[in-house]
Amino acid sequence: MPFQPQVSPFSTSATLLARKKERPKKDKRITELRYHLMHPQTPRPLRFGRSRYLRHWTIHRAWQLYRRQQREARERELQRLYHSMRDACEELRHMDELGNRAPLSDATPGVIEDEGGEAETREQVRARPTGKEVGRLYRKAMKKQDVWKGFPIEYARPLTDYPSRDGWNIGWKRP
Amino acid sequence: MALRESGRQWLSVFSKPAVRPTSLAPNTNGQRRWATTRSHFKDLESNSSFNTPPASADVIKGYNPIARSAARKGQLPRSGYQYRSPKHYRGPLHPHQPPPKSDPASREFIPGPFTYPRLEQTYHSTIAHDILAMEYVHFPPGQASPDHTQRLRRWEGDSPYFANRSPRMPRGGRRLKLVKRPTTFRTIPKVERVTVHSFVPAAADDSAFLHVAGMAIQAITGVRVESHQSKRSVSQWGLRAGKYVAVTADITGEDMYDFISKTVHMVLPKIKDWKGISVVSGDHSGNVSFGLKPEAVAFYPEIEVNYDMYPAKMIPGCHITIHTSATTDKQARNLLSAIGMPYEGTLKRYT
Repeated sequence: MPFQPQVSPFSTSATLLARKKERPKKDKRITELRYHLMHPQTPRPLRFGRSRYLRHWTIHRAWQLYRRQQREARERELQRLYHSMRDACEELRHMDELGNRAPLSDATPGVIEDEGGEAETREQVRARPTGKEVGRLYRKAMKKQDVWKGFPIEYARPLTDYPSRDGWNIGWKRP
Repeated sequence: MALRESGRQWLSVFSKPAVRPTSLAPNTNGQRRWATTRSHFKDLESNSSFNTPPASADVIKGYNPIARSAARKGQLPRSGYQYRSPKHYRGPLHPHQPPPKSDPASREFIPGPFTYPRLEQTYHSTIAHDILAMEYVHFPPGQASPDHTQRLRRWEGDSPYFANRSPRMPRGGRRLKLVKRPTTFRTIPKVERVTVHSFVPAAADDSAFLHVAGMAIQAITGVRVESHQSKRSVSQWGLRAGKYVAVTADITGEDMYDFISKTVHMVLPKIKDWKGISVVSGDHSGNVSFGLKPEAVAFYPEIEVNYDMYPAKMIPGCHITIHTSATTDKQARNLLSAIGMPYEGTLKRYT
């Protein structure tokens, strides 16, 4: 291979400095943001001695146990509510206009659709042996009228405000 | 011997009942009890381990740690730091496996939760109950909810080509939607996570835009952001494939509830002429998205108090996706409206 003389300078600092002058000045805030953004992401894991680890573990287990108890208590409460709603609906389904439990066979189709339509046609209801008044409230409830329009915007107010001192205001109307 | 004696004295502090007559009479051991040691445990719980009955006399007499350590054949393991969680996961077959995430020694261990956000509290105490009551659907005894297990359509006809042909997608779309699930006490919709996404096309030329966007999103969400490359080139937008142009932050738990509260109660009310999220927003499986413009992002308290830290023109807009456990949009809408998210527009059919 023939000898090739060095053409470019050994040091690049002079050219770099010259180039830097041409570049527009960066906002100092951006440099600052970049510095903080590039910081190491996560700290090292916790390192404990034997007894400290055991202490930590005990507290950790106790805390998990406590949270589990709370969660299960919440679930039980919801289950209780659900089952009492189910019982109430079952009562309504069998109730006639006088409030008595009518003899109704369980083969009578209930309402499955929650889209706002009656699953039972009017003819079917008329053809029932016990009259159209049986289960009227139940059918009305299962229509789910306006349920999917969502909660009124005022509902979320308790999130930012303390509960009322006067209790529930039944006569409230949307202004 | 003196060591043993003082140890016994110290132990006896715990063995005494919490309430004792306040007299400085010498104990049965002949040791003097100081008044300060008596009221130590008054504020503690009554069923504390400190109130366990004292050890029997022969146990105390047999307590000789020096003799026991001398009699031990091998040494105990060192009490110092032993275990080092592997830095990288090398697959399920590698002998050095990381501990589970719940283990304090794990690198992914996150202590907490340390707070019970107000929104979460309200959800558990009020919103969940109300949603359950609103969305309750009654199935009379002997009648179950409709079965949706077979949703693909089989090929039915006389053609010999229909045999073993793979079934078709359902009518009305090429997607298989989630199975609709009636709301029961187990399936009350809840917010699972929130994704904040910011697309910054200007970052293709100047990375400063991406860095400022990342810092802003990090500030408002409180978690580390992840940056994403553009997948393909779009010349009209000046996009080139492989350039980093977006950041996302995924938040769950406390951070998520705090972020939703901030958004609903501090940011959205301040936006000028904004009516609410469009009611049609949603991906048909219970996830709802909406967008915020840069002016709205600047309303977040973390940015508002330190507004001068960010170059004003570089504050990004963002898309916020709220992932809920609902299977339909109407369930998700009910949940979000209960949280206080304003909705705009009306739907003819509630899907």
